[in-house]
Amino acid sequence: MSCSGGCHLMCSPVKILNMYGRKACQLVKEFASGEKGQLTPFNNDLFEQVVSECSQHHLELQSLIRKMQEEGLDVQTARNADHYGALIHLFSIVRNKRCLTAYVYNRAETVRNLLWKIGPVLPKEIEEKLNHWEEEYFKKHSAALKSYMSKALVDLTVDMVPPKDPYIQVRVLEDIREGIVLSDDKNPNFARHSMHFLKRTDAEKYISRGLMEELTG
Amino acid sequence: MASYYDIDDILVEEEIVSVIFQKAASGVGIDPSSETDFIEAGSKVELPFWLAHELQLRQAVSVNVPPCFNQKTRLEIQADCACVDLRSRCPYFYEFGCKIAPIVGDRTIGFLLLSAFKNRYKEVLTKAHTATIAVGSKFWTILTKEEINLYETAQSAMASFKKWRMGGARFQIASILGRKRKPTE
Amino acid sequence: MAGQSDHELSLFSAEELEFIAEDEIVDIVPNLKMDPLCLISGDFGPFTPQIVTQVPLWLAIALKKRGKCSICPPQWMTVEKLTQVLEVERDSQEMSEHLPFHYVEISRLLFDHARDNIPDAYMVRSLIEDIRDVRFHKVETDLEGFNGRTIAVKIKNLSAMEVNIVRPFIGRALQAFYKHDSSELIPDPERAPDRRPQVAHNAPRRQLRR
Repeated sequence: MSCSGGCHLMCSPVKILNMYGRKACQLVKEFASGEKGQLTPFNNDLFEQVVSECSQHHLELQSLIRKMQEEGLDVQTARNADHYGALIHLFSIVRNKRCLTAYVYNRAETVRNLLWKIGPVLPKEIEEKLNHWEEEYFKKHSAALKSYMSKALVDLTVDMVPPKDPYIQVRVLEDIREGIVLSDDKNPNFARHSMHFLKRTDAEKYISRGLMEELTG
Repeated sequence: MASYYDIDDILVEEEIVSVIFQKAASGVGIDPSSETDFIEAGSKVELPFWLAHELQLRQAVSVNVPPCFNQKTRLEIQADCACVDLRSRCPYFYEFGCKIAPIVGDRTIGFLLLSAFKNRYKEVLTKAHTATIAVGSKFWTILTKEEINLYETAQSAMASFKKWRMGGARFQIASILGRKRKPTE
Repeated sequence: MAGQSDHELSLFSAEELEFIAEDEIVDIVPNLKMDPLCLISGDFGPFTPQIVTQVPLWLAIALKKRGKCSICPPQWMTVEKLTQVLEVERDSQEMSEHLPFHYVEISRLLFDHARDNIPDAYMVRSLIEDIRDVRFHKVETDLEGFNGRTIAVKIKNLSAMEVNIVRPFIGRALQAFYKHDSSELIPDPERAPDRRPQVAHNAPRRQLRR
C-alpha cells in the first residue's frame, strides 16, 4: 500500500531532506565510535553548532507560525503547508535535543564509572578529555561518595573482586612520591621496580591506576 | 522499548527512507542545490527515519519500503542467508526492520528478520566460542551491529572464563587506561 | 576500584562464582589441635589430628596453605568415577547429573591448593577438562536448535560456570528472537485495535482514567 501513489510521479526528481539533525547525529556517532567504556574528548565545537542549529529551527518555526497568524489562520487547527513546515522544524529541535542529551548522559555515565575504576585522582590524559562541567560533576560525585562512605563506615571502592588473601605482593611500575596513604601509617619508598608486600586494600588503587602490578605464583 | 538516551536507537533512526509527501510543506531546507524551500504534495523526498516517522503519524507523508527490505534483497537473503553481507545493506538491519515494519504495514518484514537472524546466529555462536575473528576478516565485515554485539557478548564471556582458568593476577589496571604505561625509559 | 568485571555482561564473574563455591563443604584431616570455630555460617571443628572433620572449602584452603591439614578430594574427583561420567556424557545429548553444581570451580581450587592430596592429579585434571569440553559442546548444540518460537531455554544439570558462560549470549539471542517475532512487530488487527494512524496530534486528548 505504501508503494502506490508514487507511480504517476516517476518523472519528478527526488528531493533530499537530510541536513536536519545531521550534526547532532555526528556527535552521537563520535561517542559510539569510541571503545566501550572509553571516552573521546568532549566536542565542544560540534556541540555548540548543534545548539545554535536548534535556535535557528526555533526562529524559523516562529516565523512560520507568525505567518499563519498574519493570514488569520487558527494555528491550532490549520493544516496548510506552513503548518507542516513548522512541524518539520519542531521535530528537528526534538531530535537535536535527544542527541545532545544522549551525548551528555552517556558521557556522564562513563565519567561516574571513572571514579569506581580509577579512583578520585584522574590521570592527565583522561582529565583532558573532560569538559569543565564534567570535571565538576566528577569532583562532586567523588565528594558525595566519599562522604557517604565515611558515614557508612565502609570503603565501597575496594574488594570489587572477591578477596583472597589480605596481603599481596606487588611491584611498583612508576615512581610514586606523592599522596601515599597506607592504612598502617607507614611511609615506604615506592621507587620504580621495587617490590612490596602490601595490604590488598591499600594496593588496589595503585594497581588500577597502573602504578603497580600484582605478582603471583 | 529502547531508552531515550540509547545511542544505538538514535543511530538506527538516522537511516534514510524515501517518502511521498501527502501534504505540502513550506519553509524547509531541502538539499542545497534546490532553489526553493517548498515541498509540493506528491513530491518524493528522502529524509531520516525519525522525521519520516513523525510526519507519517500525522499523515503528512507515506513511507516507501526501504531498498534493504525489497524483493530483490529478500531473495538474496533467502538464497544464502549466512553469507549475505547485511552490513552494507544496513548496519542496523534488524533494529531498522523492527521500526519500519509497522510504518509500512508490511507483515512479511518480521518473518524476513526472524529467518535471517535464525540462520545467521548459529554461525556467530560457533565462531564466538572457538575462534577469534580478526577484525576486518570477511566474516566480520558482513555482520550487522546486533550480530557483532552478540558475537562480542559470547566472546567476552568465554574470554573471561579462560582468563580465570589460567589464573594469575586478580587485580589489574583499569581497562579504560588500556595496556599503556610500560614505564618510559 | 580494580573492578574489572563488566557487570552488564553476565550476572557473575568467574571470580565471584569461585567465591560462592568456596562455601561448599569438604572433608579435611587436620594435623593440629584446635577448639571449634564458631562462624556466621556455622560451627566447625573441633580439630583433632588425624580425625576427619568437615569445613567450608575456603577454610580448608586457608588451613592447607599453612600446612595445618590435608584435604580429602570429593568422591566424584577420582579417575574411576570421572571416567564413568565422561562415558555417560559422551553417550547422551543430555547433561549428566553426576557432577556437583560447582565442579569447575571446586576442581580448579583443589588443583591450585591441594594438588598433593589428589591421587592421579594429572589424569583427574585432564578427565575434568574432557568432561567440560564434551558438556560445553552439547550446550552449543542445544543453542543452535533455537528457533523463532523459543521464548525460554531449559537445559538440565548445567553447572554454575557453564551457565554463566552462555547466559549473556542466550539472553541477547532470545531477546532478538522475541523482538523479531512478526506478531510482536505488527499487532494483529483481529486481536488488537490498530492504533497507528489515528493518533493525529490535534485529536482531542482522551481523559486519563482516574
